[in-house]
Amino acid sequence: MLSTKRSGRITRLGATRLVTTGAAAALMAIAGCSSGGSSSSSSSSSAPAASTSSSSSASASSSASASASASPSSTPILAGANCSSSATHITFWAWVPGMDRAVTEFNATHPNICVTLQDPGAGSGEYVPLDNALKAGTGAPDVAEVEFDLLPSYEIQHYLVNLVPYGANNYKSDFASWAWSQVSQGSGVYAMPSDFGPMGFYYDQATLAKYNITPPTTWAQFATDAIKLHSANPKAYLINFPANDPQWLMDMMAQAGAWPFQYTGGANLTIDWTGPAQEKFAAFWQTLINDHAVAAITDLSTEMNTDLDTGVLAAAVYSAWAPSYFAPDVKHSMGQWRAAPLPQWTAGASVGSDWGGSTYPVFSQSKHPAQAAEFSEWLTATTQSWNIVKTPPSSLFPTFLPTLQSSAFKSLTYPISGTSQPNQVFSAGALSIPLTTWPPFMTQVLTQGATTFGGVVTGKETLAQAFAAFQSQEVSYAKSQGFNVTT
Amino acid sequence: MSETALQPCAPRVVAPPRTPRKRYRRSAYARRRGRSGLAFVTPFMVIFTLFMIAPLGYAIYQSLYTTKLIGGTRYSGFANYSTVLESGDFWNGVIRVIIFGGIQIPVMLAIAFFFATIFDLGVAKWGGLFRAVYFIPFAVPIVVSSLMWGFLLDPAYGPFNRLFSAFGFQNFNWLSPNLMLPSIIIIAIWEWTGYNAIILYTALKSVPRDVIEAAILDDTPLWKIILRIKLPLVRPAIIMLVFINTIGAMQLFIEPTILNNYSAGVVTDTWTPVIDIYTTSISNGEYQLGAAMAVVLAVVIIAISVASLAFRNRRREFG
Repeated sequence: MLSTKRSGRITRLGATRLVTTGAAAALMAIAGCSSGGSSSSSSSSSAPAASTSSSSSASASSSASASASASPSSTPILAGANCSSSATHITFWAWVPGMDRAVTEFNATHPNICVTLQDPGAGSGEYVPLDNALKAGTGAPDVAEVEFDLLPSYEIQHYLVNLVPYGANNYKSDFASWAWSQVSQGSGVYAMPSDFGPMGFYYDQATLAKYNITPPTTWAQFATDAIKLHSANPKAYLINFPANDPQWLMDMMAQAGAWPFQYTGGANLTIDWTGPAQEKFAAFWQTLINDHAVAAITDLSTEMNTDLDTGVLAAAVYSAWAPSYFAPDVKHSMGQWRAAPLPQWTAGASVGSDWGGSTYPVFSQSKHPAQAAEFSEWLTATTQSWNIVKTPPSSLFPTFLPTLQSSAFKSLTYPISGTSQPNQVFSAGALSIPLTTWPPFMTQVLTQGATTFGGVVTGKETLAQAFAAFQSQEVSYAKSQGFNVTT
Repeated sequence: MSETALQPCAPRVVAPPRTPRKRYRRSAYARRRGRSGLAFVTPFMVIFTLFMIAPLGYAIYQSLYTTKLIGGTRYSGFANYSTVLESGDFWNGVIRVIIFGGIQIPVMLAIAFFFATIFDLGVAKWGGLFRAVYFIPFAVPIVVSSLMWGFLLDPAYGPFNRLFSAFGFQNFNWLSPNLMLPSIIIIAIWEWTGYNAIILYTALKSVPRDVIEAAILDDTPLWKIILRIKLPLVRPAIIMLVFINTIGAMQLFIEPTILNNYSAGVVTDTWTPVIDIYTTSISNGEYQLGAAMAVVLAVVIIAISVASLAFRNRRREFG
């Protein structure tokens, strides 16, 4: 609950542990002598992220439920009322707040298709019922929000429809190349990319100025600045280093040329957490950890946002969605937040990275893949849709180039950033993201990683030791799943 | 400890007293009574079979298979069980909950007995009110009480840390790796003492008055009446409480799961057996391995229960 509040931007890492589903209760029932009573109180923790009121949602549930496939129990239908009775019904799961506005617009302009939107909750709130429905062979939606890193997990189980026959390739040139590479596997395209999170150095101008620091352009400069700031004020840090968020950590590794996985479908998988690039990355951060020059708190937490707001943390290696994620907690530092490009490993280079983002695949259970694909393509690849979803409360950062590169989008201002235009920085960073390929079991990677890297945060082990431990854990897991593992 | 401790499940494993059965012809009345008894029991048995026996059987069946991302689902015999038995993380979790129960249950029962005795003696003013007050923590859902304690113990903002700072303990972190388990023990004691005190109070109330009156006439000191007369007479209730609290303790899940949000990385994904089962099944999608872990945990719980039962029989609790 703590981490899935508001935008629902952060997902499994926090949510995995919080969401207690009926399935878990069932397992616990096996283990002991309980009845299912134990789930009743805990299930309240998976608060749906999107509680934004929508005018169309309240009255919708009575009319639109006829064709809706089995959905997570008692999930309210957010949009999809008032369709003509002859329309083809499409079920759509997503947790981005304000998505109902786009669905309503689609239904109004496509009278032959009726999309019903349901929000089962952010991250695992959606993935757990989705996985269960896909495994069961019935009950899955036609289209759902799936983050980039999880697409291969669905592809490998043949749960996704190849969208090429439905014209997906027509949109290829409309998208940032990193995003398109994420949804493609071989000659297939298995989802339409929507938003993403090019990373940047996001800082409080006033706090940095207080310590006479300018945004570092290289990581070497960054290290000097981090030590300088912390020795000037032992209670303050330049940034937080949340080693126990494997997603953030891996995105940082991508920028350092130390991406630890290679996977392009099939049974072959490369895992490398202990190569020279990875060791160099670990050593760099370990120096700062040893000097206590970086903080070690949970990222995307209220605590971190408060520390950023009060100057305990002067900056964050954050992403394009930071302004909308972070804004609600800003009280003292309003107007002071600026974006700069990521510091570089090689001076003068401009390598970016991505943190998060979602796609909209069509599931093979769908009885109407053509209509579902049409909706997914409209949602992600039209300015009509983007003019809605780029605005609050959705505030999506587009992979769709016509919007991403429009001067209207680049020049957007945010109250926490004063008159500055952070999207100028993030839009430029969006085009320099190194290609990354996710292993087809990212949920396991994130869960195991949070545990394995937890010891780095508490000082029990070094980052390099955690990398070595994680290497053997991942290799053994991948082998147990039948992969041919190269290290 | 999970709420499951409340389920009246203990009697299931209680062996019937072994009195030699007399053979007699059942009267028409007895047969009729047997039929109507069956009618009363059937709804329970149907639901029990559907939601307890059948899932249990299905879990055991599932635990004999393995699904791989490459290769699909295959019968794998006891491979999942050998994975569980060799898993250091799983057994560390088992040991952790045994330590948890080993401390929490005796301390809680001592406090509960103390309060139950005070209520029973009737020396406290507004006894009824206080019984209700001590019972309130039990009425708070565990998720809510864990969240509440999380904020109280929060290393950054928690009032408890401020309080300790005032006494000179700087940066005292209740949710650090070393103190997480003690903190959860405190929380569990807070949650369950009232409930246990009420059970003990009713047990104390049922101690025959004439026994106590005889003791008073013999000028037995009060402490002797409490510890030498009342305590032994409520021992069956205490043993029943040990029993169900142990089963609950072995399934520790909600408190650590919630508190993990206040102190990242302390509660690992294998911290308790049930968290481990949850992670394996839900996060890693290895439902069959999770099923095997659940079966192993059930066996551990049954073993502990049977052992305590054997202990109880040796002490002739029902003799």
